[in-house]
Amino acid sequence: MSGDTSSHLVLTDVVVTFNGFQAVNGLHMTVGKGELRCLIGPNGAGKTTALDTICGQTKPASGKIMFKGKSLNKLEEHQISRAGIGRKFQVPSVFRELTVRENLQVAYCKHTGVLANAFRFGRGQEADGLEKLAELVGLQGQLNTSAGHLSHGQTQWLEIALLLAQDPELILMDEPTAGMTVQETRKTADLFNRLKGRHTLIVVEHDMSFVKEIGEVISVMHQGRMLAEGTAQQIERNQEVREAYLGSGGITGA
Amino acid sequence: MSRRTAVQIAVYGIVCLAILLVPTFYDDAFVLNKYSRYLVLGILAIALSLSWGYTGILNLGQATSFGLGSYCMAMGLKLRTVPVHTGSAGLPDFMVWNNVDKLPWFWEPFNSMTFAIFAGIAVPVIFAVLLGWFIFRGRVTGVYVAIITLAVLVVVNLLIIDQQRFTGGFNGITDLAQLEIFGLTFDAYGSSSYYLIAVSLTFSLFFALAITKSKAGLILQAIRDQENRVRYFGYDVATFKMFSFAVSAGIAGLAGMLYTIVMEFASPTFLGVPLSLAIVIWCAVGGRQSLLGAMLGAIVVTGMQGALSESETFLDTWTLIMGFLFVVVVLFLPKGLAGAAEMLLDRIWPSAGNGNGRANKSTSRNTLPRKTEPAE
Repeated sequence: MSGDTSSHLVLTDVVVTFNGFQAVNGLHMTVGKGELRCLIGPNGAGKTTALDTICGQTKPASGKIMFKGKSLNKLEEHQISRAGIGRKFQVPSVFRELTVRENLQVAYCKHTGVLANAFRFGRGQEADGLEKLAELVGLQGQLNTSAGHLSHGQTQWLEIALLLAQDPELILMDEPTAGMTVQETRKTADLFNRLKGRHTLIVVEHDMSFVKEIGEVISVMHQGRMLAEGTAQQIERNQEVREAYLGSGGITGA
Repeated sequence: MSRRTAVQIAVYGIVCLAILLVPTFYDDAFVLNKYSRYLVLGILAIALSLSWGYTGILNLGQATSFGLGSYCMAMGLKLRTVPVHTGSAGLPDFMVWNNVDKLPWFWEPFNSMTFAIFAGIAVPVIFAVLLGWFIFRGRVTGVYVAIITLAVLVVVNLLIIDQQRFTGGFNGITDLAQLEIFGLTFDAYGSSSYYLIAVSLTFSLFFALAITKSKAGLILQAIRDQENRVRYFGYDVATFKMFSFAVSAGIAGLAGMLYTIVMEFASPTFLGVPLSLAIVIWCAVGGRQSLLGAMLGAIVVTGMQGALSESETFLDTWTLIMGFLFVVVVLFLPKGLAGAAEMLLDRIWPSAGNGNGRANKSTSRNTLPRKTEPAE
C-alpha cells in the first residue's frame, strides 16, 4: 500500500448480499489520491460488485464507503457522481441513438441542474475540448455518427472518452480493454499511465500483461474478500494468490 | 448553429407561416372552425412528442392535462355567460339544477379571466409534477408508466363525471361566453380564434423545439436511450423526467383551453381514453421523434378522419380504412411520416446532413448495415 498519499477512497468491512448470497464479504480497501489500482481476481470474486457499491448501483448490507472523508452509503447514484466518481461499465454503455458528439456533450456534466441546462444551447467553448477528446480516442471522424453504428472497440473508446469528458476525480474502470486489439490495449495503457496522478483510478482487468504495464499496486479479490495487495512481484510470489487464481505458472501464465 | 438545426428551423417556420395564411384563402366560418380544431389537436401531439418521443415517457394519460386545461377555461368562460340563465345568485345553470346555492370556493377565483388562463396551464403542470414525483422518484419505467398514466386518466375522468354538482357531470360545461382579452373577442367561428390557435401552435412548436435543442433536451434523449447511464454523469434523472412531463402537461393544458374556445364547451370526453390513445396514434403516424411530424400527424389523421366520415362513400368503412393505414405506417414506417421524409430527403440530397435523423457521410461509408429500429 502506498502510505505516503492521503487515502482518497476507503472501504471498510463492506458486505453485499444478493438474496442471501454474499457477493462481497467483508471487503477492506484503501486507495490513495492519484493512485492507479488494479483489481484482479477469478470470476465471481466480487470485483464488479465492489465497483457497483462504490458508484451506488448496489447498496451494501453493511460496512462503510468513504470518499474524500465523506460517507457514500446514503447517497444516490447521481449524488455520488457529483461527488466526483465516474464509472465505465463492463458492457460498454453509451447512448446508441445519439451521435458521438452528443454523447460527449452529455458526459460533459459541469452543470447538472434542469434549468441550468434548459437555457444552454449549441456548442460554445466546450465544443473544442470535446473535439480534442474525440481526437484523443481516434473518433474525430465519427463525431456525427450515431454511437449505435460504432464497432465494439470504438464503443469502448467512446465510453473512455465520456469519462474523460466527465473528468471525475475517481474513475472506476470495469474491463476497459475487453474486445480491444493488442495495439489498442497498448494505447489504453499509455492513456491510463497519463491519467495516473491527476485522477485516482481503480481498474478491474483480466489481461495480466496490461495489469503489469499500468498497475503499481494490485489488489487480488477472492470469494468476496481481499486476498492480497502488493506490487506485481509480491502478488506473483504470494502462495495464496497462486492457489486461488494464478496457477503455478505465475502472473504471466494466467 | 449546425446546418441541420438551421434547416429545421426554416422548415418549421414555413409550416407555421402556411398555417397562419390559411384564413386569407378560406373565410368559410365552418371550415375555419374545423381547421382550428385540427390545429389544437396538433398542439396536443407536440406535447406527447416531447414526453414520449424525446424522453421515452409513454404517457397514455395525456388527455388528463388536456381536459384539466379545457375545464379551467370553461369555468372562466361559464362565469362570464351573460345573462347567467338561472338562479338569483348568478350561479351557472347546472349548479342550480343540482341544488347548489353558493358558488363553490374553487370556482371563486375563476371570476378572474387572468386566473382562469393561468390555471389552465398551472393546474396540469402542478398535477403532472405531483404524479411525476411519485412515478419517477419511485423509478417506475416503461410499460408501467403507461399503465399508471392511463389509470390516472380514468380516475380523473370518473371524478369529473361523478361530481356533477361542480363539474356538470356527463354534460360537461356548456353554454359558454366568448373569450375576450385586450378588447378582442374570440369567436369560435371566426378567423380571430383561428389566429389565436395558429399563434399558440407556433409558440408551442418553437418552445418545444428550443427545449429539444438545449442541452437539457439532449439529456432527455440520453435518458430515453439509457436512463441508468445518465445517472452516473450526475444528472438527477427523476427531475429531468418530471421537467419533461410537466412541460408536456403545460402544452397539453394550453391545447385544452383552446379546444374549449373552439368547441364552445368542455366535456368529460376531452379526458376520455379514446382521445388519449388517439394522441399516441397521431404521434406514431407522424413520427414521435419529430415535433413537427407529430403535429402534422395529428392534423393529417384527424383531417382524414373528418373527411372520410363525412363522405357518403366511406360512411360505413372509414374506421376500417383508418385502421389499415395505421397498420401500414407502424409496419413500414417505424419513425412515422417524419422519418420517411428525412430518409427521402437523404436520398435526394445527401449533403443536407439529414440522413436517418443524424447520420452523415461518414456513416454511409460505414460498412455496418443501417439499423432499423423496432417500433415500440
